[in-house]
Amino acid sequence: MTEEYPEEEFKIAKKEMDRLVYESLKGRDVKPNVMFAKMSDLSRAFGISKGMVKWSRVNSLWPMQFGLACCAIELMGFGSARIDAERKGYLLFRSTPRQSDVMLVAGWVTKSMVPEVKRLYEQMTEPRYVIAFGECATCGGPWFESYNIIRGIDQVLPVDVYVAGCPPKPENLFEAMIKLQNKISGKIED
Amino acid sequence: MAITRINIGPVHPSTHGVLQLVVDLDGDTIERVDPHIGYLHRGVEKLTETRMYMQNPPYMEKLDYLAPMSYDEAYVSAVEKALGIEVKERAMYIRVILLELQRIASHLFFIGTVGNDLGQMFTLFMWAYMDRDKVLDLLQEATGSRMFYVNMRLGGMLSDLPPDFEERTLETLDYMEKRIKEYESFIEKNPVFHERMKNIGILSPEKALDLGVTGPVLRASGVQYDVRKNSPYYVYDKLHFEIKILTKGDNFARYKLRLLEMRESIRLIKEAFKSMPAGDALGMPVKLRSPPTKNRIACVSREAPKGEVMMYLVADDQKPYRLSIRSPNFINLMAIMHMAKGLRTADLFATLGTLDLVMGCVDK
Repeated sequence: MTEEYPEEEFKIAKKEMDRLVYESLKGRDVKPNVMFAKMSDLSRAFGISKGMVKWSRVNSLWPMQFGLACCAIELMGFGSARIDAERKGYLLFRSTPRQSDVMLVAGWVTKSMVPEVKRLYEQMTEPRYVIAFGECATCGGPWFESYNIIRGIDQVLPVDVYVAGCPPKPENLFEAMIKLQNKISGKIED
Repeated sequence: MAITRINIGPVHPSTHGVLQLVVDLDGDTIERVDPHIGYLHRGVEKLTETRMYMQNPPYMEKLDYLAPMSYDEAYVSAVEKALGIEVKERAMYIRVILLELQRIASHLFFIGTVGNDLGQMFTLFMWAYMDRDKVLDLLQEATGSRMFYVNMRLGGMLSDLPPDFEERTLETLDYMEKRIKEYESFIEKNPVFHERMKNIGILSPEKALDLGVTGPVLRASGVQYDVRKNSPYYVYDKLHFEIKILTKGDNFARYKLRLLEMRESIRLIKEAFKSMPAGDALGMPVKLRSPPTKNRIACVSREAPKGEVMMYLVADDQKPYRLSIRSPNFINLMAIMHMAKGLRTADLFATLGTLDLVMGCVDK
């Protein structure tokens, strides 16, 4: 996909960003190192094409380190040496919701956990995506008769991709991430 | 100094699941830790009462998702006891082999995560997970599934071992022995590891017995108790192995003991392969109606990788009237309240990590 975007656009964007960061921090006693902003605002401010915004979004999906139950073990398998998710840009799991783009709900969600999950989702910066990983997060799974379980995370959050399996293999999650990338880049419809 | 109360969790990268800790601090020293549990409670014991005997193993496996087979096996043998069914001898050996493989996989996971808890992010985890995948491949070959196996049947197994399983297992075990040595040198030549683990989170043998902790946590405190030796089941009394104990009871002892146990498991599997008899290992196919109940109450105790798991089954006609599960993780977790007093905040997670908890088993 890199061929689509000429290098010049990159250079201009970088220069522009550096200038903006420098100006915003001028006179303050901090070194400019990190900048938080919405990508849609960046596109408007710098005049970068929307395609470029999309491209950068697609290739840097950072999942949140948020494991609930059994599926979290397979989630770790996704980040481990055999699958090596890093090669596709899904960097190793972020520990804070503020740095992450994708929330992987791996495991059953109990009634006492719902407010926590909601809060974590609200703390994530936009745009944010949710993957329901495994049966329990999709529909309640084997616990559908339990008195303390909500039957699917989609009752609480908007879900982008569902992954079936109890638990799904790490490979399935890889496929789901590729689906999510295609969804963001507009290759597949909602 | 004034006491500061901080809240950790329920979603925190270091709590190994969904555990909330309310910590009272005096400066950086911990005064009191109060674990709040129940964020994963889904009522397993109640659910089993509405299902037939052999519909329940999948639920049992989801208790401890790092060693699912040991829980499945404990439940199935409780049912076997209630129905008065004998297990075939070859099936006993196969169960022992698979259970020990499961123990190795579980302990490897511990070794991976203990590095994360000390802030040594992901190198050790990558190594251990890579090796764990190798063990899981063996289990997948033998049972057909990577994580939840459901391969125990009344009186035997779902299927016999595949034809060249022995060779490949022995190959993997040889590789694993080498790797354990590498882990040792990799971890124990690191002075930071020693500093963070030694003489921290000490649990005295008296206190350990009072609290009722089991498994590696108890044995690292110097108490010689292992269900496999003290009340042997299957063929554990025919096989030669030692109960490894360490006397210190600190974090380092708990880590070291798991390495020693893995070595012992490797020896056990090799011996079990040698003395395994030929014959039939298949159990009864799963049917809705099982044979009639003989004993109304059945209680079995098993040595799971995390500690002693006990299944107390009161039998109804065709399903459990009541199933009570002794969860080793729940009892081991309570030890943190005693161990954490006087620790620094950063050491709390190292101590919690060496208890090797699975929250799915704590909350049931």
